[in-house]
Amino acid sequence: MRVVIAEDLALLREGLVALLRENGIEVVAQVEDAQGLLRAIAGHEPDLAIVDVRLPPTFSDEGLRAAIEARRRQPELGVLVLSQYVETAYANELIGENSAGIGYLLKERIGDVRDFLDALARVADGGTVLDRQVVTQLLVQRGGAADALARLSRREREVLELMAEGRSNTAIAERLVVTPGAVEKHITNIFAKLELPACNDDHRRVLAVLAYLRVAQSIDA
Amino acid sequence: MGERAQATADLGMARAGTGRHRRLALPAGLSLGEYARSLVRRLAALSAVLVTAIWALGGQGYFWPAWVWLGLGVSVLLDFTAGWAWRRPRGPVRRVACVWALVSAAAVILLLTWLLTWLLAGVHEFWPAWALLGLATAGCAYSLFALHDRVLVAHGRRALRERIELLTRTRRQAMDAQAAELRRIERDLHDGAQARLVALTLQLGRAELRADQEPELRALIGDAKREAHHAIAELRDLARGIVPPLLADRGLVAAVESLGVRYGLGTAVDAHTRRCHAPAVEGAVYFVIAEALTNTAKHAGAKRSWVRLADERRDLVVVVGDDGRGGADPSGSGLAGLRARVEALDGRLTVASREGEGTVVEASIPCV
Repeated sequence: MRVVIAEDLALLREGLVALLRENGIEVVAQVEDAQGLLRAIAGHEPDLAIVDVRLPPTFSDEGLRAAIEARRRQPELGVLVLSQYVETAYANELIGENSAGIGYLLKERIGDVRDFLDALARVADGGTVLDRQVVTQLLVQRGGAADALARLSRREREVLELMAEGRSNTAIAERLVVTPGAVEKHITNIFAKLELPACNDDHRRVLAVLAYLRVAQSIDA
Repeated sequence: MGERAQATADLGMARAGTGRHRRLALPAGLSLGEYARSLVRRLAALSAVLVTAIWALGGQGYFWPAWVWLGLGVSVLLDFTAGWAWRRPRGPVRRVACVWALVSAAAVILLLTWLLTWLLAGVHEFWPAWALLGLATAGCAYSLFALHDRVLVAHGRRALRERIELLTRTRRQAMDAQAAELRRIERDLHDGAQARLVALTLQLGRAELRADQEPELRALIGDAKREAHHAIAELRDLARGIVPPLLADRGLVAAVESLGVRYGLGTAVDAHTRRCHAPAVEGAVYFVIAEALTNTAKHAGAKRSWVRLADERRDLVVVVGDDGRGGADPSGSGLAGLRARVEALDGRLTVASREGEGTVVEASIPCV
């Protein structure tokens, strides 16, 4: 896997480069700003770009804009956006029309190295990875009116959040320290409660849940 | 001399006539004092006519009624000047008018006395000159003194106005500086402590991978990582409370629109502002909306809610309303805190929340 990293803080950038290299991932370029990212993508044609939301010069959302622009230029490119906070508005913009090969994670998820590397692989393969906080925020936005969501148990919510990260049943089971069978049962319950058609493909599953939450959100809005 | 006597008497009659006319026009509005004055004027006129008649019937000779006229005229004059002075506006203006009324009354008395003496006894020396000069000097001196007083008052007023302007300006500057400082702190947290903690979790993650064969060490590293995650989450909440990220990144309109969907209330958001607002104003408006929508979500049981943000003349106005059960306490801690925040920016916050009629929170903050 060939990766480009756009991160303005040297401390994090170098740590990330070291982490990826020691896990056999090739970092073809590391840049500090949005312009550098677009140049590096054009020059190196990587599989994946890891982009910080806040980049120079204004430190607002240049990274996000650059990531969207990069995807517009190269639709095959996987983009993982990292941020120190989660905004559902950003997730929506990032996914846009085409959610294949999109990731949006909190920066501290890097610390769970195995999960993080899995997420990288999923995004590079055209999957969708959303931080569980995106789901949490969307659930909060649905608020008390969301009867169907209110009916979910705590464990089912956890499973839903992990599903949004694009994990497989086995990965979810490992994470929650339960059997894959139990996870399947939870997922069946969730889909039944949200009245979604059952679906086993990890990526399509994320989309179904996300679509449900976004539809709910747009109806509310 | 007879003609002059007649003229004075006519004047007295005319005054008495005016008094009667006023009494007729305002039978209930005439005060006791005014009634007494009109009575005295009529008596004065009557006395003037009477003494003249007595002089004429008593064989004429030395024209002594002139002195009676003078006495009566002086009292009418004093009454007139006192009334005029009393109608001046209160304060130094009235005091100066009183002094000048006295001075001119005294001058007229002196002049009339000299005139009568001259006419009746033929004195040629203009003896009141020195007295008149003294009176005029005293009046002028007092006027100058009072004028100086007025200048002082005006100066004081101007100084006060300048002070208010200075305080208003520096307070706004202090608020802006504070808001800018808060944003700097948020940025410092983001680039400093938060970034270092993220880097720490990254290193701990790498260490965790290498400690695969040593479960105890791995557990310790795992614990350290969890602590770091808690610290990051706390810092994130802190930063969000200082400046919400969307507000810092994309400005007020985007942040307000995002607030509209945050609470799942079906909030209709109409946010337009062309001006670039100070961070203090943006922050205050954002938190007014956030608090009002939180209250709506928690307490109102509303079917519909709306947010309107617009420039109106010199103000930035925000209205947050719902059709819920109303009855919100405007002095509740959340709203009181917001009011303090808005008022510190010379703004105004009102809460209309009659029982059963929904709640409307409106804030307007002047743009400087």
